[in-house]
Amino acid sequence: MPKAVTIYVRYVDKANRFVGIFAMYLIFAMIGILFYSTISKSFFNPSLWTLEMAQFTMVAYYLLGGGYSMQTHSHVRMDLLYDRWSDKTKAAVDAVTICFMIFYLCLLLYGGFSSTHYALQYGEQSYSVWAPKMAPIKIVMCVGIFLMLLQALATFFKNLASARGEPLP
Amino acid sequence: MSYELIALAMFGTMMVMLLTGQRVFGAIGFVAVAAALLLWGDGGSEMAFSAAIKLMKWYPLLTLPLFIYMGYMLSESGIAEDLYRMFHVWAGPLRGGLAVGTIGLMVVISAMNGLSVAGMAIGATIALPELLRRGYDKVMVTGVIQAGSSLGILVPPSVVLVLYGMIARQPIGQLWLAGAIPGLMMATLFVIYIVVRCRLQPDLGPPLPKEERQVTWGTKLRLLRAGILPLLIFFLMTGLFLMGITSLVESSAVGAVSATLAALFKGRLTPQVLHDTVRKTLGISCMFMWIIMAALCFGAVFDGLGAVKALEALFLEQWGLGPWEVLIMMQLSYIILGMFLDDTAMLVIVAPLYVPLVRELGFDLIWYGVLYTITCQIAYMTPPFGYNLFLMRAMAPPEITLGDIYRSIIPFVIVMTIGLAIVTAFPQVALWLPGLHYGQ
Repeated sequence: MPKAVTIYVRYVDKANRFVGIFAMYLIFAMIGILFYSTISKSFFNPSLWTLEMAQFTMVAYYLLGGGYSMQTHSHVRMDLLYDRWSDKTKAAVDAVTICFMIFYLCLLLYGGFSSTHYALQYGEQSYSVWAPKMAPIKIVMCVGIFLMLLQALATFFKNLASARGEPLP
Repeated sequence: MSYELIALAMFGTMMVMLLTGQRVFGAIGFVAVAAALLLWGDGGSEMAFSAAIKLMKWYPLLTLPLFIYMGYMLSESGIAEDLYRMFHVWAGPLRGGLAVGTIGLMVVISAMNGLSVAGMAIGATIALPELLRRGYDKVMVTGVIQAGSSLGILVPPSVVLVLYGMIARQPIGQLWLAGAIPGLMMATLFVIYIVVRCRLQPDLGPPLPKEERQVTWGTKLRLLRAGILPLLIFFLMTGLFLMGITSLVESSAVGAVSATLAALFKGRLTPQVLHDTVRKTLGISCMFMWIIMAALCFGAVFDGLGAVKALEALFLEQWGLGPWEVLIMMQLSYIILGMFLDDTAMLVIVAPLYVPLVRELGFDLIWYGVLYTITCQIAYMTPPFGYNLFLMRAMAPPEITLGDIYRSIIPFVIVMTIGLAIVTAFPQVALWLPGLHYGQ
């Protein structure tokens, strides 16, 4: 594999691990927001912003965590046939099938860009009493999807390298 | 190309992509966006992202990561070990008693968590080694843990019923209550099966040896204290929700906090445990969320094709089926599809197709939700595709082979089908409790 590819894979892995570790602690943000909502509702005034804020956190959680979850092989596959192949065959097949996934991620990102563009241009707001601006969360979503795309490409290179019998470190 | 053919082609392509070992969300997502582009060109290009926005608006799904977190936290907290010791002593003297105790443990875990992941993790790490050491038959034990943990999605709280409730627009509280009695009934059926089977074949599940049964009543009663903490968690989470004090998503946060406090109280909460728990939570949450996001896009394409109308025409006009025949057809098709396709994705794709039909036929949607969940439980266990199967394979000790796991579920699938038939024939089993609570 060319040196540039090796460096790309190493840095993408590193970046996604870093973002993933940040994302996985967002679960405490979700718990905290909703727990605060419970307490404030029971004893003080109910707050308007908690539910939507928790929703935004959830989306950030699984989109930003996506790349890391791919790195840690968290996504299930149907292993009826897959499991019987040798590691080399698996890598070769993966190198082909992941292209379909990359296609999906590209369209996801395309939709994300166009939706974010709209939100920025017209100052889109959520239809709720709190009415937050939608652009920031959409930008976060695009970042998450973009990182997932980078990780998918990195995985593609790793598969290609393993299929050629010289796995990346 | 007619719409039916397009729909079939979509399912076919998805099937082929899954068989090549593609990651599930990738397979579903690709078929969805490719179909959208082919059908509607540029107009279909933003459907994938619209699905992400739709997922964000489905805020009850916040319960999913929180329940996963809670499940892992509970399995670390040591509550399960205490409970297991309790069931061990109380049910041990029976033939097959430890297997019966394992079902009991699973029911308690199910009442604290809405997924089968927690039950699997606890069953495989705590119950399984103990049962094998006591000379229980490995095939039966494997089945007990898979079937028992599947109760997690039927006994309230339940994430599957939350998903169903969002699709069918039914109140989650009623759905949860509707699942309670069928869940307990299912557990009872499992226990009956185990006891009868062990009576017929005593070597499958030997009772505890005499010397271990010499436990004083004082000790026995003291062991019951293990049940206090689970009861408290159940009350704080499901109880407060049913009383209308907390909202659904808030109750899951209360559950997550109480599980963390329980682990802290038991002295099990180290930084390492906390870090591992959030890491595992992220992995499983991302897996489910990316699949649901892709499946929502797939469902939107189906909706655009007018699949609901097509299905209705097929069942009612072309085949001329009666309401009950349609109902049975739907369940059967779901079990068969669920064998080969991803179960969560099936829920998101198939439920929107069936729910309007069920409503039109005049069936109760709360009751149908319970039927749907039981069918889902069966789909989770049937090979070649089932989450419980995957989890079992990942967690089981090496002496349990894939063949053992596949064989182990057969009797339990039969028992669950009987349970499904009972709830189908007597809707009151499901509807009595919500009727009582909400006074209808």
